Amino acid sequence: MSLLYYGALVPADEAGLLRHLDSCRFCGLEWDEFRGCLDAATPETVFPRETEVDWREFARAAVARARAAEAARPATAVAAGWVAVPVPARFALLAAAALVAVLLWNTGLRPGGVPGGAPASPDSGVGGPPLVSLLESAHAMQDRLARRGAARYLTDSRAVLVNLVGPAAPCRKAGGQYDITLEKEKSRQLLRRMNLYEGGLGSLEDQRLSTLVRQLESVLMQVAALDDCASARQIHDLREQIETRQILLRIDLVTREMEGRADVV
Amino acid sequence: MEADDFTLMEQVRRGSPGAFETLVERYQRRLYRLACGYLHNHEEALDAVQEAFVKIYLARQSYRPSAHPFTWASRILANRCIDQIRHRRVRPEQSLDEAQETRPGRGPLPLSSSEESAQTRQERRELRSVLQGAIDTLPPRQREIFMLRHFGEMRLEEIAKALGCALGTVKSSLHRAAAAIRDHLARTDPAFRSPKGESS
Repeated sequence: MSLLYYGALVPADEAGLLRHLDSCRFCGLEWDEFRGCLDAATPETVFPRETEVDWREFARAAVARARAAEAARPATAVAAGWVAVPVPARFALLAAAALVAVLLWNTGLRPGGVPGGAPASPDSGVGGPPLVSLLESAHAMQDRLARRGAARYLTDSRAVLVNLVGPAAPCRKAGGQYDITLEKEKSRQLLRRMNLYEGGLGSLEDQRLSTLVRQLESVLMQVAALDDCASARQIHDLREQIETRQILLRIDLVTREMEGRADVV
Repeated sequence: MEADDFTLMEQVRRGSPGAFETLVERYQRRLYRLACGYLHNHEEALDAVQEAFVKIYLARQSYRPSAHPFTWASRILANRCIDQIRHRRVRPEQSLDEAQETRPGRGPLPLSSSEESAQTRQERRELRSVLQGAIDTLPPRQREIFMLRHFGEMRLEEIAKALGCALGTVKSSLHRAAAAIRDHLARTDPAFRSPKGESS
């Protein structure tokens, strides 16, 4: 039926199926239900804000941006040259660059070792101090990226928690008092994002930050596990956790501190 | 007479006046819906579509007519969205725009006309929430195929080419996705249940 709905059947199969749907009441009702569900998923329903956009203006802006981007491109000769290189040649160049990097790595730049297995001291020979500074820079960059990821995660999580501690929207469905559909969905998104950042956030050296991230994850998991309509008791428990652990205050402090440090690193 | 997509893309490659503008106008809404499917955020989806058009324009010489232009454009957009998900920039008041929109008393309701009753608005919000929930429960590949077909209006062959999978895979994934959405809606909203159970 899905193939019929999406017009992906060959004409003979389509005609045959339609004949059957006309003659079989059960399948006819099944088809009506199926079609009704998919018909309901209109762009206007699923993407209600699409109609807010002035698409003519949007197209004009997109074209202007594209032209501006192209105008800016020839300014960098390297980039222009790269574009001019045929695709197979680009792969060859990239492979060559990778090979050189591997050779350099194996012959002297490897941390803690030089050819022959002798350990490299930070101040020895050619690869010494530059290697240390390179590793330090990489480490600092990694920490900085992890911090940025954490800051984004915290700020978004804070917005969800603020909604939870604020006045709750009443639920129209039976079996619950407060509608937390959006908070639930947002919590799920944040947990997914948390998984995405897992490696980055795991590398955080700031104990306070990683504790906060862990506690936040626990609250978000509780929100994500609730029904769309939560009971007053459940909301109360969540609020109590947020307040007892002073999560909002700690997020504010940590994000402010991180914003300050991000410029320093 | 309007040029077909391949002809239009060829005109874009040759730099014909107005061709890129036409392409943007033709694809922008379909791409926006696809971006919404990935990003679940209006503002971010608009940004992603703009960025995708910039990339399309810059990479127009590398386009090969073996793929449909929309297929090609949708891949550029998908890559952009995946990139954006990885490096999401947080703007709390905007990232929660859905909340602003759907919570009574917490923000403007730009879509609703003043005549529309609160009940109609609430029903529409609930339907949207149910539909969004149904789409979100799909596995990523099924969701992508469903979005490309249902909202991107791509042909199944084009989807198979865009995703680099067999046509049969696209058909079975689409079938499973549509069935899952139907089941979800029928389970959560009685309005979508047919009376067949009572009649048989």
